[in-house]
Amino acid sequence: MKIAVIGTGYVGLVTGVTLSEIGHQVTCVDVDKEKVNTLNKGVSPIYEEGLTELLEKNLERGTLTFTADYDEGMLGKDIIYLTVGTPQGKDGSADLTYIDKACDSIAASLQQNAIIVTKSTVPVGTNSYIKSRFEEKLSSNIKVKIVSNPEFLRQGSAVYDTFNGDRIVIGSDNTEALETIAEVNAPFNLPIVKTDLRSAEMIKYAANAFLATKISFINEIANLSEQVGANVDLVADGIGMDKRIGRAFLNAGAGFGGSCFPKDTNALISIGKEVDYTMPLLESVIKVNDKQRSIIADKVIANYADLSGKKIAVLGLAFKPNTDDMRDAPSIQITERLIEQGANLYAYDPVAIENAKKVLSGQVEYCSNIESALQNADMAIILTEWQEIKDFPLSAYKQYMKKPVLFDGRNCFTIEQINGSGIEYHSIGRPVEKAN
Amino acid sequence: MHKIAVAGTGYVGLVAGACFSEVGHNVTCVDIDENKVKTMKQGISPIYEEGLEELMQKNYAAGRIDYTTDYQTAYKDADAIFIGVGTPEQADGSANLSYIATVARQIAESVEKDCLVVVKSTVPVGTNDKVEQFINDFLVNDVRVEVASNPEFLAQGSAVKDTLQAERIIIGTESKWAEDVLLGLYEPFNLPIVSVNRRSAEMIKYASNDFLALKISYMNDIANLCELIGADVQDVARGMSFDDRIGSKFLNAGIGYGGSCFPKDTKALENIAKQNGYELKTVKAAIDVNKEQKTLLYKKASKRLITFNGLKVAVLGLTFKPGTDDLREAPSLENVPLLLEQGADIYAYDPVGAENFAKVHPEGPKAKGSITYVSNAEQALKDAHVCFVFTEWGEVKAVTPEQYGELMRTPLVFDGRNIYDLQEMAIAGVEYHSVGRNTVTKEDIKETKNHAVPNAR
Repeated sequence: MKIAVIGTGYVGLVTGVTLSEIGHQVTCVDVDKEKVNTLNKGVSPIYEEGLTELLEKNLERGTLTFTADYDEGMLGKDIIYLTVGTPQGKDGSADLTYIDKACDSIAASLQQNAIIVTKSTVPVGTNSYIKSRFEEKLSSNIKVKIVSNPEFLRQGSAVYDTFNGDRIVIGSDNTEALETIAEVNAPFNLPIVKTDLRSAEMIKYAANAFLATKISFINEIANLSEQVGANVDLVADGIGMDKRIGRAFLNAGAGFGGSCFPKDTNALISIGKEVDYTMPLLESVIKVNDKQRSIIADKVIANYADLSGKKIAVLGLAFKPNTDDMRDAPSIQITERLIEQGANLYAYDPVAIENAKKVLSGQVEYCSNIESALQNADMAIILTEWQEIKDFPLSAYKQYMKKPVLFDGRNCFTIEQINGSGIEYHSIGRPVEKAN
Repeated sequence: MHKIAVAGTGYVGLVAGACFSEVGHNVTCVDIDENKVKTMKQGISPIYEEGLEELMQKNYAAGRIDYTTDYQTAYKDADAIFIGVGTPEQADGSANLSYIATVARQIAESVEKDCLVVVKSTVPVGTNDKVEQFINDFLVNDVRVEVASNPEFLAQGSAVKDTLQAERIIIGTESKWAEDVLLGLYEPFNLPIVSVNRRSAEMIKYASNDFLALKISYMNDIANLCELIGADVQDVARGMSFDDRIGSKFLNAGIGYGGSCFPKDTKALENIAKQNGYELKTVKAAIDVNKEQKTLLYKKASKRLITFNGLKVAVLGLTFKPGTDDLREAPSLENVPLLLEQGADIYAYDPVGAENFAKVHPEGPKAKGSITYVSNAEQALKDAHVCFVFTEWGEVKAVTPEQYGELMRTPLVFDGRNIYDLQEMAIAGVEYHSVGRNTVTKEDIKETKNHAVPNAR
């Protein structure tokens, strides 16, 4: 199949590269000429494991090309994937400006019938809207069929997820288009769920918002566990063995961030609003998360009458490990609040520092390793559970810090590990461990 | 093998007792009700639960299980005493602990050797600390008594199977001795055991049930939204189900959870949180969604019909779920009074729950309507104007779309359990309202009849 992919962000680039890897002829279109040039040289603008290798390989064998020119991109293509961003608008609804622009550009260049596949996460009903927009803009002799194919990749393991996903969801009200896109995806050899357009759109939101609900639930149980003297890790183990619940996503911590959970949960609430349906359950999930995201700052402030002049080591800044993404990361609010209290922050993150510099206050000092962040610090806070941070020896905290006090927003260590380490340890949903 | 006493012969106690005897322990079940004890000795279970009577009869014959009102004899030389008495919900949502306190007092006055007291009842976090203190305060003899938490995870309708083939056993103890005793008692079950401290064990019980209640309310909320935007909640659930982090179970939309556990345990944990100055927002929202969802069918039907006055209304299923005669917090209990108030003549069918339901709503005229209990679905449906499905019993699922079409005067069905395929109902000429899916309208039925390719959308 000859495929065009519109947009080269996370979703677009991973989609284009993996579709070319399974044997399709793929052209990725992005209006940013500089980005196109870089990509044609085999350099990925995003950090994603395994992506560069596949990018180089498929550029070399000629199954993958990048262009900034829609005419060239649309030439002879049977299938066009829409992967442009749908950022969250001010009211929580998805902003469709990029979708509109992409549709109009496609319509202006397309010379043959094609299937439009929407991979971007779009509000329910958007694909019908896309269809009508095309009908309006296309010349009458050219027809498009619309398919929804929401992506479920996780940042940090996007390439792996594409080849090893749980399922591929395809929705269309046109059976022929549905079957064609199923065929395109067949080489991935994954379960395919076929449904109508609207249900496909809904699946993505319902799945993400459910995971967000799971996180907020365990965070509430963690906060309550602290109050009543239970240990949330043990509670999570105990309830996670129930198959109806599952252990995944039951790690208490400093709340969810990133580009999906907050955005998709808010979007679902706003989809409800449009049909006059309020969703208090999802609203509670968002409220809990908003509070949870600054809980480490709350704990630090509650434990110190005065933070001015205190040196705080900040370990981890990205919203989760294995990504340089700082969008909606809890570290943004937490560092802001601690700086407000007069603390001096020394931050370390294996890959997110460059992005962090763009969004964090200028008063944060960046360190090139854990040791230099900890050097002479009054306390340390862990905000991202990078493997490197989890593997860092507990004995070293005592060695480098002025006082070994650790606030762990990701429960990186078990209470048993902490016992006898000489560290004062504050975590989420577990009893505080004193230094002696 | 160990000598075990079990206090309380309700769901929790009796099933635990029968299962412990099945794996070889010597069990004495204690209950204050002499008639109940007599009945159980005859091998008759006071509750309906698959496989339970078989275990009771087999192990009674083998001399491994007995029943008594004489707690003193049962407790005095037991290795372990399991407490399975009820902790009913009080008006403010907190758990009533008076039954536990009574048993604890009796234990303290009876035991003559070292003994582990194991609380299976669901109790607020921290309660077992107090139970241990309480027993030791009243202890008559100089023996060692400790309290362990061993929350129960059986589901009504499959309680025996759930106990013998549990996914995990949670034990919460505060000493190596107590942990070893419990590990020993459960060894013959050969199941995964999670050993934690006592308060975490207590929390696990609430957190498990509350999460499942939350999952149900979440899917019901999504279902209602699906209806409004024209998506199909069953397809949505299927799409979600492949994700291991979500899991394929408990994704069925419906008319809310009932029974003795989810409603009670959600309110109880919310209450525990309140007492600790914490607001449990997600659980509170799950409770609110469920409350609305329980009367969903009545609300749908009220929008569709001007009145129920003089209409024959078939009600299929009364219990809160299939496989049990339990009516506690069942959606039927909310909907039936509303229908009666509107003048409906109800013909209700439930394979086992009708008798219990008749205790609340006796047969005959009531409010502006009336209620009659019938012995099969066909009788209920015969000449009915409208039908409500509240429980997905096998006997109810066995009713075919054609039967609704043929038996009912006007085939109009409100299904709270999404039993039927939309197209099949359209073909059978049934106007069909379910949860989170498109409605099969009169127009759909006409279109289906006119077109070669049926399309229920």
